[in-house]
Order: sequence, then structure tokens, then C-alpha cells
Amino acid sequence: MSEDEERYSDTEQPEGDESLMDVATLTKELDDARQRAEDYLISWQRAQADFTNIRRRLEQDKAEAIKYAEGDLILKLLLVLDDLDRAMKHAPPDLKSDGWVQGMEGIARKFKGVLEGAGLEEIAAMGLAFDPTLHEAVACLPGPEGMVIAEHDKGYRFKDRVLRPSRVAVGSSEPAQEIIA
Amino acid sequence: MAKAVGIDLGTTFSEIAVMQAGEPAVIPSAEGGNLTPSYVAISKTGERLVGQVARRQAIVNPENTVFLIKRFMGRKWDEPAGRELSVQEDAKRRPYKVTRGSNSEVRVAMGDKEYSPPEISAMILQKLKADAEAYLGEPVTEAVITVPAYFNDAQRQATKDAGQIAGLNVLRIINEPTAAALAYGLDKKKEETVAVYDLGGGTFDISVLELGDGTFQVKSTAGDTHLGGDDFDQRIMDWLADEFKRDQGIDLRNDKMAMQRLKEAAEKAKIELSTVQQTEVNLPFITADASGPKHLTINLTRSKLEQLVMDLVDKTLEPCRRAVEDAGITAAKIDEVVLVGGQTRMPLVQQKVKEFFGREPNKGVNPDEVVAIGAAIQAGVLKGEVKDVLLLDVTPLTLGIETLGGVATPLITRNTTIPTSKSQVFSTAADNQPSVEIHVLQGERPMAADNRTLGRFILDGILPAPRGLPQIEVAFDIDANGILSVRARDKGTGKEQKITITASSGLSKEDVAKMQKEAEAHASEDARRKDEAEVRNNADTMAYQAEKMLRDNKDKVGADLNTEVESKIGAVRSALQGADTEAIKRASSELTEAMQKIGSAVYQQSPPPGGAGPQDSSSGGEEPPKPPDEGTVEGEFREV
Repeated sequence: MSEDEERYSDTEQPEGDESLMDVATLTKELDDARQRAEDYLISWQRAQADFTNIRRRLEQDKAEAIKYAEGDLILKLLLVLDDLDRAMKHAPPDLKSDGWVQGMEGIARKFKGVLEGAGLEEIAAMGLAFDPTLHEAVACLPGPEGMVIAEHDKGYRFKDRVLRPSRVAVGSSEPAQEIIA
Repeated sequence: MAKAVGIDLGTTFSEIAVMQAGEPAVIPSAEGGNLTPSYVAISKTGERLVGQVARRQAIVNPENTVFLIKRFMGRKWDEPAGRELSVQEDAKRRPYKVTRGSNSEVRVAMGDKEYSPPEISAMILQKLKADAEAYLGEPVTEAVITVPAYFNDAQRQATKDAGQIAGLNVLRIINEPTAAALAYGLDKKKEETVAVYDLGGGTFDISVLELGDGTFQVKSTAGDTHLGGDDFDQRIMDWLADEFKRDQGIDLRNDKMAMQRLKEAAEKAKIELSTVQQTEVNLPFITADASGPKHLTINLTRSKLEQLVMDLVDKTLEPCRRAVEDAGITAAKIDEVVLVGGQTRMPLVQQKVKEFFGREPNKGVNPDEVVAIGAAIQAGVLKGEVKDVLLLDVTPLTLGIETLGGVATPLITRNTTIPTSKSQVFSTAADNQPSVEIHVLQGERPMAADNRTLGRFILDGILPAPRGLPQIEVAFDIDANGILSVRARDKGTGKEQKITITASSGLSKEDVAKMQKEAEAHASEDARRKDEAEVRNNADTMAYQAEKMLRDNKDKVGADLNTEVESKIGAVRSALQGADTEAIKRASSELTEAMQKIGSAVYQQSPPPGGAGPQDSSSGGEEPPKPPDEGTVEGEFREV
């Protein structure tokens, strides 16, 4: 029998020092229990707060995921749009009025129209001041300082986010720089 | 409550993660994406730029754009080459100005000011902190930051200083490989030796750690500061350019824009070949000559890619050998291998690592995020957010009850965190059924007989009513100690019965694993049996419904039709006596046709009102669409 248990069994004879000891023990136990209750309360409050926060977080994430869900796919489709742009740009001049080429141009326009309908927006770059929040500099060429002087790939916004920055060459009075690999 | 975060302050990219409700998660940057480039710049207009935005303008503002600052952290100007280049040698390669300070410390210039490397790192940390605060909606004041295992005291102190400058109380600086091991929970194991293989974009590190008393000690490190995924991309680019030249006679290497597109395509192909065997690199209008536009279309197979980079992968094995030797052990003595860095997603890398260490490496945690995640876990532990007492248990196996046809209907699915409770409303399977038996089951198999019986009890006193009408609510509740109590209540009479099962947690790990394995092994056979049960239940329902239809529409159905339907009902009933599922299906479909004739006969009438709809409080009905009044199997129990 442990010391504690012995004390409990003695409680029927509340006399002298022993009863005082009982009081001391019980007080300590009460304090311990209060402390434990306090700890549990804090842990519980924390768990509740965590739960509330995570629920709010989940709702936000879900709203965002829905809002930008198409972004990932559109980002991949931009590769096709780039190729279509390139194809149209490289159409032989003597074929420009050819019905087949015009039909392809129509397809390219339609494809872009569909993407724009989903929330895609072209970022303006040529002739504007270089802005790293919208443009990515891939070359530095002689030209007006700090201005976009060539656009290699068009940049696009999707809803309120930059889906892909424009890849541009920026004018500089200093000698030409290498392209960042 | 301020949150403590974990930060992977990397040479080229940095990342921040946090514990949320007991789980680590990487926090996306304000620009989207989880990685923030470790770039800082002062724009020509005097604005400070950090991360993605700083990187995008690096080429137009090279002298004011600082990157690779980690290589200068805590190092002296005169420091010779070691693992890394000597400081002065490295400084020569930077487009920004690196100078010697008064105490022979390294200083870097940006705008018209000079900064110490910790000040630059602090700007990256501040950006991560701000993004995290915006994401979490609460202040972030404390952090665990990771450093390479080979960092010396001065380099660690400099990292800590950077945290303090950024307004973070740095709870601890931990080694990157240790963080990776923590992300896999390896600290919970006993004494073990762990190898962490980290192949990132530009560097390779291998570390051997020894675990004792829950802490890791670095036994040895080795690596190559100029070997990484970028070299793999370069190999693919070179090969594509060679192939194109052989095919078209044009060298793309002279065309910078073409090479830019080639680089992106090479990386994309490399990533794709980690999951497929072959991919097409397709770059239309890559260039043009006098004869017109040229297109690059080349097929790349996984085996060709492996041929191209085999020596690069082999190159990582020499440092592995050295590290193991320096740790004073052999590769066979390594108990766990952890993979870090995006390039370790490549099957060839995994295979070589497996061959070298003779064991399957730990994967599963995103190798780009594993260090930040481990740091976040460490932060959680230090803040007392990750406590053993708070770790909640899960139910290892699914709990449910038996329903009509011997089907096991789950109420609490396996791996549900406990304590938890769930209830669902069921009904009777026969008219005037006076009682239901609740047969409590544990296990993953779809048929009741294959699962473990935890207990049974009977709820009686159900008032006489057509099948499907009484509502019996069955509630499962598991407390934090895994004690399950099951209660069934007749919602009509309020009568209830319950049972408490303490043995539900009495299964050993082996038992659980065995039951799960059995479920997997029998999956297809079980599915067939469950289908059979469903066919039987549907046939039974149909016969019951047909009888009811005949009864309800006696005066509208002619004698001939009445006889025909009755004989079809009889056919279904007798088919149900047998075991031939196909026969049951045939009989039911014939009965359906006959029932349609009744439908035509009573066409003018409005359809009979439906019975009680599903009243299920927790799960959607699994049953195929059918009317609520069905079945005749006496004394059974069914879902509504």
C-alpha cells in the first residue's frame, strides 16, 4: 500500500496531526486538480481556436482554388497560344490573303477569345516603362533607358494575378547583356 | 496567438512553413507559388525589391541585385576556399560589388549603401514573414531557420543575426538534413543512422546523421557545390540542339531566344519523364532560314534521358561513399535514407540511391518542401504545439453495422481521428417487423460475415408498420480512449438500447495490418459479393413493390395482367431462393416489364405518394434509387 492510499484509509479517524495532514494533502490535490483543469481549459481553447482558424483557412483556400482553378490549365495552354502567335507572325507575306491562312487566323483569334472569356488578359509591355511586377527582363539592349523595347513572349494576367510575366528586352545606354539562362 | 514558423533559407530559393492544427503546411508567397527566389534588389527608383520581382529585373539592374548571399554568410574576406570557393574568388563572379569591411567582414553594395550579408538575408526573411502574416492573418514572431550541416559557428550566428534583424525571435538554428529527417518523423525512432541525400537545382549534399535520445548528430557531410538539376537540363538542351543541327543543319546555340525556349522545354521534358516513358519535345517555329520556318519535334525516351545524365547521377555516389566512410561505417549500416531536392524525383536517381544504400529511400513528402516542413515541425515542438498528449489517435479499422443482405454498412471509416461520433437513420426490412438486431462490425470488407463482430444487441418494441417506415437512429461514439458505444433508438417510440465495447482498440498492430491486407487481397471477390447482395436486395424490393402495386390498383388491373404479374413475382421469389445471380437479374427484369404494364393500365391516375424519404443525418444513401417500401426478409435491418 502506498503512502497516499494509507492516508485515504485513515480518513475515518480525523484526529490531531493526521487530520491536518489530510487537509494539507487534500489542499495539494485540489491545487493540482485546479492546475490540471486550467491546463486542459487552455489546451481546449487552443484546439478550438485552431479548429476555427483552420476552418476559415479551408474556406479561403477553397474559394481561391475555385477562383484560380482554371489558371493552371490556361498557363499550359499559353504555350499553344504562343505557338499560334508565332505561326501567324511567320505566315509568308504572299499567303496573307490566302483563304486557308485567314481561316487559321480565325482559329487563333477564337482560341484567344475563349481564354479571355475565362478571365485571361494580355499584359501591355511594348513601349512602356519596365515594371518587374509585370515584366521579366530577358535581355538588355541599346535603347531608351528602362523602357521595354522588344517583347519575346506576351505576358498574361488571370483574374487579378499575373499568370505569366511578359518576357521583354529592356533599353539600356550600357552595352548589351546576356540573356539569363 | 503569434505563430512560430519554420524557414528554409536557401541559396537560390527560400520557403516558409507553419504548423496548422497539428499539421505542417508550406505558406505560398504573395505572388503565388511556394518558392521565393533568394534575390534582393534596390530598383533604379530606390525601391527595395525581394523575391520573384527582384529576380525578374536582375538583368537590367545587375549591380544592384544581390543573390547567392548565403555563400557569404558569416565568412571573412580572407577566408580560403573550403567546401565553397574562397570569398574573394566568389566575389569576382558576382555582378554586384562585394567589398571588405573594416573588420575584414564581407560587405555587399546595393543602391548607394553597403550591407552585411545578414542584413540582405534579413530582407528575404522579412518578405517571407510578411507573406506568412498576410496568409495566416496573425503576427509571426518566432522562427526555426535551417542551415547546411557543414555551416560553422560563425555562419550559424550570422543566420541567427539575420533572423533577429528581420524581427524574428530565432528559436533554433537546425541543420537542413535534420529538418528533412524530422519531416519524416524519424526522431521518433530509436537509435538509428540516417543518410540525407539532397540533390537540388545547383548543389548536391549528402549527410550522415546519428539519432540518439530524439536528437540528431551530424556524423559527416560531403557534396558538390556545382552539381544539380540545372546540369541535367543542360544535358538535355545540348542533345536537343545537336539533334536539331544534325537534322536541319542549323545550330540553335547561336540564337539566344531559341535557347531560352529550349531550356524551358528541356526542363518540362525532364519532369514529364519522371512519370512517363516517352515525351515529345515540340517547339514549332523555333527558327527560320531562307527556305522558311523550322520546327523542332524530337521524341525523348526515359532511357535516352538516363543515358544522357547517367554520369551526373554517378557523380553523386562518390561523395556518398566519402560521407559513409567519414562517419566510420559502411553503407549497409544506414537504417534510413531521406531524399531532398526536386531532382530526387527522377526514377534513375532513386534507383541509384537505393542501390548504393541497399534500401528503399523515404519519399512521400514533397522533396522541395521537406526542409521547410521539418523546420515548421521543430518550431511546433519548441512552442509546445506538438505535444504527445495532444496527439490524437485514429480508429485503425472501419466500424459499422450489418444491413439487409449481409452487407457491412460503415458508420465510422478507418483513420478517422477520435474522439468522434456519427449517426445514421435505418429502417425495417419487413412489414410489421417487431425488432431489429444491431450487429456491430469492425473491418474493411464489404460483407458483414468477413468482418470482426464487436457486439450485438436487439432493439424491440417497434410498432407494427410497413417496411421502411420506422426510423431507427443508430449512433456510434468513440471516446478519446477508443471505447466505442453504440446506441439504437426508435424515433417513433423513443425506445432505446445501447452497448459499450471496450475491446474495439484491443487489436494489435499486426492484427490491423492483417485485416487491411485481407481486405485488399479480397477486394474484387468482395465487390462481386456485394453486387450480388445488391441484386438480391433490389429483386426483393421489386417483388414487394409489385405486390403492393397489385393490391393498390386491384380494380384497374385486368385479370390477365394480374395473373401475369403474380407469376413474375413468383419467379423472382423462387429465383431468390437459389444462388444464381443471373437468374435473379433475369426474373427481376421480366418483372419490371410486367410492372410497366400495370403502369400503363393505371396511367390516368396520379402517381402514388412516396413513403418516408432518406432521413439520414450523416451519410448520403448508398442505395440505388428505389421506392421506400421494399424487401421481405423477416427480421433484417436496412438503410433508408
